[in-house]
Amino acid sequence: MVKAVRGVLVECEPAIKSILVHIDSTHHHEFIIEDLDDTHLFVKETMLQVLKSKLEERLKETYRPEEPLEDSE
Amino acid sequence: MPPKRKAPSGQAGAAKAGRASAMSTPGPATPRSIDSSIMSDADEDFDEDVTEAQRQREALLSKEADEFVNKFTFGGKRLQGQGDEIVPRDARRYDSATSLFKKRDFSHLPLKPDHLNRPLWIDPDNCTVVLERFNPLAEQATDFLITIAEPKSRPTFLHEYSLTPHSLYAAVSVGLRPKDIINTLERFLKTALPDMVRRKIEHHTKSFGKVKLVLKHNRYFVESVDADVLQILLKDDVIGSLRVHGSDDITTSYAPTMGGLVIPGTQNAAGVRQADLKQAEKKPGEGEGASNEADLFAALNEEDDDDDKEAVHAFEISDANVETVQKRCLDIGYPILEEYDFRNDDVNPNLEIDLRPNTQIRPYQEKSLSKMFGNGRAKSGIIVLPCGAGKTLVGITAACTIKKGVIVLCTSSMSVVQWRQEFLKWSNINPDDVAIFTAESKNKFSGSTGIIVTTYSMVTNSRERSHDSKKMMDFLRGREWGLMLLDEVHVVPAEMFRRVISSIKSHSKLGLTATLLREDDKISHLNFLIGPKLYEANWMELSQQGHIAKVQCAEVWCPMPTEFYDEYLRASARMKRTLYAMNPRKFQACQYLINYHEARGDKIIVFSDELYSLKQYALKLKKVFIYGGTSQAERMQVLENFQHNPEVNTLFLSKIGDTSLDLPEATCLIQISSHFGSRRQEAQRLGRILRAKRRNDEGFNAFFYSLVSKDTQEMYYSSKRQAFLVDQGYAFKVITQLANIEKTPDLAFATPLECRELLQRTLVDNERGAEDEVETDDLFGKPGRGGGRGVGGRKGNGVRRTAGTLGELAGAQDMAYIEQNRAANKALKGKGGKKGGGGADGQSKFFKGIQREKEKSRARN
Repeated sequence: MVKAVRGVLVECEPAIKSILVHIDSTHHHEFIIEDLDDTHLFVKETMLQVLKSKLEERLKETYRPEEPLEDSE
Repeated sequence: MPPKRKAPSGQAGAAKAGRASAMSTPGPATPRSIDSSIMSDADEDFDEDVTEAQRQREALLSKEADEFVNKFTFGGKRLQGQGDEIVPRDARRYDSATSLFKKRDFSHLPLKPDHLNRPLWIDPDNCTVVLERFNPLAEQATDFLITIAEPKSRPTFLHEYSLTPHSLYAAVSVGLRPKDIINTLERFLKTALPDMVRRKIEHHTKSFGKVKLVLKHNRYFVESVDADVLQILLKDDVIGSLRVHGSDDITTSYAPTMGGLVIPGTQNAAGVRQADLKQAEKKPGEGEGASNEADLFAALNEEDDDDDKEAVHAFEISDANVETVQKRCLDIGYPILEEYDFRNDDVNPNLEIDLRPNTQIRPYQEKSLSKMFGNGRAKSGIIVLPCGAGKTLVGITAACTIKKGVIVLCTSSMSVVQWRQEFLKWSNINPDDVAIFTAESKNKFSGSTGIIVTTYSMVTNSRERSHDSKKMMDFLRGREWGLMLLDEVHVVPAEMFRRVISSIKSHSKLGLTATLLREDDKISHLNFLIGPKLYEANWMELSQQGHIAKVQCAEVWCPMPTEFYDEYLRASARMKRTLYAMNPRKFQACQYLINYHEARGDKIIVFSDELYSLKQYALKLKKVFIYGGTSQAERMQVLENFQHNPEVNTLFLSKIGDTSLDLPEATCLIQISSHFGSRRQEAQRLGRILRAKRRNDEGFNAFFYSLVSKDTQEMYYSSKRQAFLVDQGYAFKVITQLANIEKTPDLAFATPLECRELLQRTLVDNERGAEDEVETDDLFGKPGRGGGRGVGGRKGNGVRRTAGTLGELAGAQDMAYIEQNRAANKALKGKGGKKGGGGADGQSKFFKGIQREKEKSRARN
């Protein structure tokens, strides 16, 4: 029997795509249905909002320094 | 409510708000406490005049809405116990923009009727002063503000200064009185001087600089213009008991004036030679003051309130207690200012030193020195000049003015040599009198006094030392120095300074630096260890006058290829740094820029903090490079080639090259990796090209590129790093795409396959060799590494034997083969070896044999 999953096509920059794939791989692959190419992903429709919020979080991290400034030399 | 100001001011406000938050303002940006005074209600009418003034102001606002800058900058201490500033509620304007200003809305402050002619705005809460550069009075106001406030930000049209306790301290120390400060501020301000600011100024100037510690005839005196202050000190338990007994009277003498003192090299000095008239008039009075000093023992009672500003009162304290007294005075709110009356010091022998007659010092150098010698004595403090603006000459001129023993402390053995050369170049000092104290050479000067050049680490090293250096240290400790010159003061931790200052006795201290800032905000310690900031030059002004080069700054955004970015997301913090430095797109951009600028005839320096990428870039592009592990001899060779060899146009430097490296040939700078968000490093690196020799050529520009990998932390750091330079008035252009980059011949990593290989190699190399690459941050070559070995010499040659399948060996399953380019350094060495017979590669078989024998015998022992 054929099982259908509703999905959404996501188009983004390669860097964002990398982040999305990374999020997916750390969450038991529950977001992405198919990795199409450098700028396109096919994502489960039900998980879209969750993915969006996870991406937001991640983007905030990227621009925050993770280490304190070392400036004592 | 007039409608006209809304739109423009609202927009500008929003834009400025964005800027203020995106840029880091120095100092912790703590949220401001909720202020009661401004929000408080009060029933006070205000008359028609004020509304008129307000209306005028609004007209002005719509023209130049920029003065709201200050309303968004935080910081600056507020004085406790304010709150008499009653704000009439009606005076505040409410419009669509009001909410954006929150508590920094000062539209209620009444403007003076002729405010258009006055250049200053003030923020009463945090004492920030904003100067309109386009105002006709701006020049005068700048001179004044430089003296009393610290420059925060100096772009083209609006300058921002901030009144801090230290800046006021500095103002008093150059002889300004609180009354003068307040009156002048009042004159320049568009609004009336707020009471709170007035009180703050009075509060800080009252105590600062009133008490001076003077070393006269090698005895320490606590001195003050105000006799009452001395009485307070004498009544203090601690200080009173430390006073030298037998000199119960308070000494009174006359304050010295600038009088006979001429800073060599200035316009004045030239004048003296021709017309001695004016000086002759002043000098007798001056001499009298000094010679009569002994007779002028007078009890305090006799000293009526004569308003005699020239009178100075003093009591003596013993050498041993100086430190204690200083601390105690600070505790009770009378910080001691140190001054050195060098002209009346006849205990320490004079040094035969003068600037060469043809030396002319530049106006800003003269200005900075006149701050130091403002009243004929040498004040201790810090002078801030951009890199390449002649800090060394300022130091030398100060030494020539004081003419006593001088000790110069610098950061590296390389700059020790440079300092000595500069001394010989600019002054007529006997070469035997300039001695060097480093690990390699420990000379003493021949005469009774002289100059010693050494490094911070030499004098603070507390571990066991060789017999020679111990003797040398005892020599340094055992004498009294007239002047201590501290080069690059910003780099040295406060504790180290304390050690230097406690072990070596000097009458005055002069700190020199280009970037008086640290990310850890410990810079304020220097205020007490060395002295206040005496002078800070304006970078933009100097570059307009042609003293330093004009620089075009650009930030180049390089996208990360997907493979790299995937890896980046997974990597550890350390590996992330390596990955964004090794970004192949960045590599291409670097290659492109090097090609472009070499074709234009520029000499290029490429900076990388990341050692691994430094080597990879340099090897791949076949350029010379220097890093911490490069031996001294090799460095010299590489630097010389960079300076004189037309074939060597690009030099890769690790962070050892950040400071003190003097390469006037360099005209272009590319930064591929850097130290987090260090503003100082950015400024110091920029400094490497500011002294470009060709700066006075018509239309010449130096170039500063910062390569940044997109979507990584580097973007964040980069904006943080630029804050200092932006404050100095530099503008960074952002380049997202370099034109025709894909047409570069031999473009590296052009295919995805090459990118993947690079990634694999980077990962493999860094897992294996992370520990080998410990970068030392000093400029010393590692001693004991005899000028021989090329970089990575033995390390890379180790053979590894691995088992693998045929498929692996053929390149499948991520097996990476390494292609090793010969270091370009070695090529230089080959040539040099033939000429000078120096390097190992140039050695003949015979000498190599001897070398081997030696090593064997050493191993046996």
